[in-house]
Amino acid sequence: MIKKIIGLSFAASATLFAQSDLEQLKTQLAQQQRIIAALQQRVEELETKQTSASAAATANVQTPTSTFDQKSFLPDIALILNGSAVGRNVDNSTYESYFIPGFSEFDPEEESEIPYNKNRGFNFNYAELAMHSTIGPYFDADAVFHLHPDEFEIEEAYITSRALPYGLRAKAGKFLSEFGRINSIHQHAWDFTSQPLAYEAIFGAEGLNDAGAQLQWVLPTDTYLMAGFEALQGSNDVSFGNIEKNNLYVGYLKAGADITDNTTLLSGLSIAHGKNEEGLDTNVYGADLTFKMMLDSYSSLAWQSELLYRDKDTSEGDHDQAGYYTQLVYDYNQNWATGIRYERLYKNLVDEPNDLERTSAMLEYKPFEFSKFRLQYAYDRSKIFGDERKNISEILLDFTIEAGAHGAHAF
Amino acid sequence: MQKILWLFAFITSWTFAQVNVVTTYTYLGEIAKAIGGNDVNVKVLASPKLDPHFIIPKPSLIPTLSRADMLVANGAGLEIGWLPPLLKNANNPKIAIGSQGFVDASQTIILIDKPVSVSRAYGDIHPEGNPHFSTDPHNIVPIARMIANKLSNLDPQHQSAYQNRLANFTTQWNAFLMQFDNKIHSCKGKKVVQYHQLYNYLLKRYNIQAVATIEPLPGIAPSSKHIMEVIDTMQQQHVHTILQDPYHEKKTASFIASKTGAIVKVIPHDVGNIEGTDSLKTFYKTIADRLCQ
Ligand SMILES: [Zn+2]
Repeated sequence: MIKKIIGLSFAASATLFAQSDLEQLKTQLAQQQRIIAALQQRVEELETKQTSASAAATANVQTPTSTFDQKSFLPDIALILNGSAVGRNVDNSTYESYFIPGFSEFDPEEESEIPYNKNRGFNFNYAELAMHSTIGPYFDADAVFHLHPDEFEIEEAYITSRALPYGLRAKAGKFLSEFGRINSIHQHAWDFTSQPLAYEAIFGAEGLNDAGAQLQWVLPTDTYLMAGFEALQGSNDVSFGNIEKNNLYVGYLKAGADITDNTTLLSGLSIAHGKNEEGLDTNVYGADLTFKMMLDSYSSLAWQSELLYRDKDTSEGDHDQAGYYTQLVYDYNQNWATGIRYERLYKNLVDEPNDLERTSAMLEYKPFEFSKFRLQYAYDRSKIFGDERKNISEILLDFTIEAGAHGAHAF
Repeated sequence: MQKILWLFAFITSWTFAQVNVVTTYTYLGEIAKAIGGNDVNVKVLASPKLDPHFIIPKPSLIPTLSRADMLVANGAGLEIGWLPPLLKNANNPKIAIGSQGFVDASQTIILIDKPVSVSRAYGDIHPEGNPHFSTDPHNIVPIARMIANKLSNLDPQHQSAYQNRLANFTTQWNAFLMQFDNKIHSCKGKKVVQYHQLYNYLLKRYNIQAVATIEPLPGIAPSSKHIMEVIDTMQQQHVHTILQDPYHEKKTASFIASKTGAIVKVIPHDVGNIEGTDSLKTFYKTIADRLCQ
């Protein structure tokens, strides 16, 4: 079944890729319009001819083959493709062995977990297959499959309530936690191609993505206030990982308001409390702030920052670590956008360098709403290879296409 | 006695709360106000200054939706780029699509320009048909009737008030339509060029021919090659009018105008788009005035 759908979607996406000559399309469109006009005229003629008697007769005619037709119940299906070309001053075998000092370690026994843009040269990062369907009056179902060249992964699969009163909504399954601002957003909707360092260091490459349940409540106030609570298994082994029982609890409060007609603010405070692999407590605190100024229908300026702070108890002592990013993105029009981002980590350990930082700049071109090319440069001073610190210069060009029934993105 | 009546009126108005009606666009808000009167509290989501296809789903719109008893949408896909995430986050089953509190105005309209085949290769087309029916004032009464009926179901206590307001509104509107029809029928120039297929309902009703669009395909910015073709077409077919919406860039239209000697007319497509269009009547009056200038 899945295979068929994938096949179908590929076929659909192939048509998207087909050399689309604007000229040809325009003539086709003009042709279509002529056909429509002709059809409309025909319909009008028929309508006038049709008497009330024949109308009554045709009303009872049904095509018997469509009686058990379930096509209209098919879920919404979207296919997202992402790939890149990368230039980097570190060769591939070295790059695979990187770690962020004080946060992660490189284990040569295990396969490296760099999900995007791992190779100098060409990368096909993933094909994402997303499905959404309404399951009766009470639930919606969503599933997001990540297909890597040699891996099939259920990124998310969950049900969401549709009919809870008092501004409540519940979710259960495997899903991306709504901790912070960017954790629940899929890679193809990020403003920069790479995951923020603070998230990579504290939650790992996959972010906080776990099995569990979620309850959200929109408060009955004039300003937007939303409180959320999640009970999760705690399988994220970067900060948590003790799964003898469900061990991770996440809570957050988000607030949004318009400062002027054209300026909007969204802010959030989050906390994740769980047990790490040593069975000791880990608390992660998050604070985020986004300002967006709308210049006209197609142009805006957005400033977004996020701070993560981790208090991890280990047998070697108490680790208080933090990281933040701050970014400015300018959407010039529907086709062009540009942005810069600065990030820094504080590992609070004495023995190694502490100026772990990265600066990125990007230029984005969208020929159409559902396709995107991004040129990104990053200078990264946060990685260590073996026992050698090496600063990475990276330039990459990536593409993202969204085919099929892809829903609109939230703010 | 009168005092007691007033007191009674005060208490009833206080105990029976108003119906919270939220509409996506301002013209729908004006219709809802006309039908709902004091029995409803109307809020509009989209700023009329923005492209109706691309409203930013600001978080501040969520609590409004969250407390709504009724949501009136334009429908026919016009809100698809911004309303679904807001609806999802509002957690309000009363206005979920298909529920009693959800009103889709497009269901009262016979949609035109329905594409024979649907593909994004043709740009950002509207697969259900053209959703820009707000430019034709003849579409207002059917929508008002639908809103009156939905309000009557939702708030049966005030059913007669809704139906009375509908009757009054219809009478007044039909009188206004007479003036509007006369005005447009009197105006010359039966060929126009528009930016997007925004005015097709209006143009079709009054037999004004839309010869070309400035955008080569829906949602695609004009290329220089396409602009030259539009200029050629306009010269061949003697088109002297360019209908410009208030939200797109106006440089292309003025350039074409300078090459063809045509006049650019900024025509509003919704209440409050441009100055002096704060009510339904002034909105349509502005359309007629500018079209027949
Ligand atoms: Zn449109």
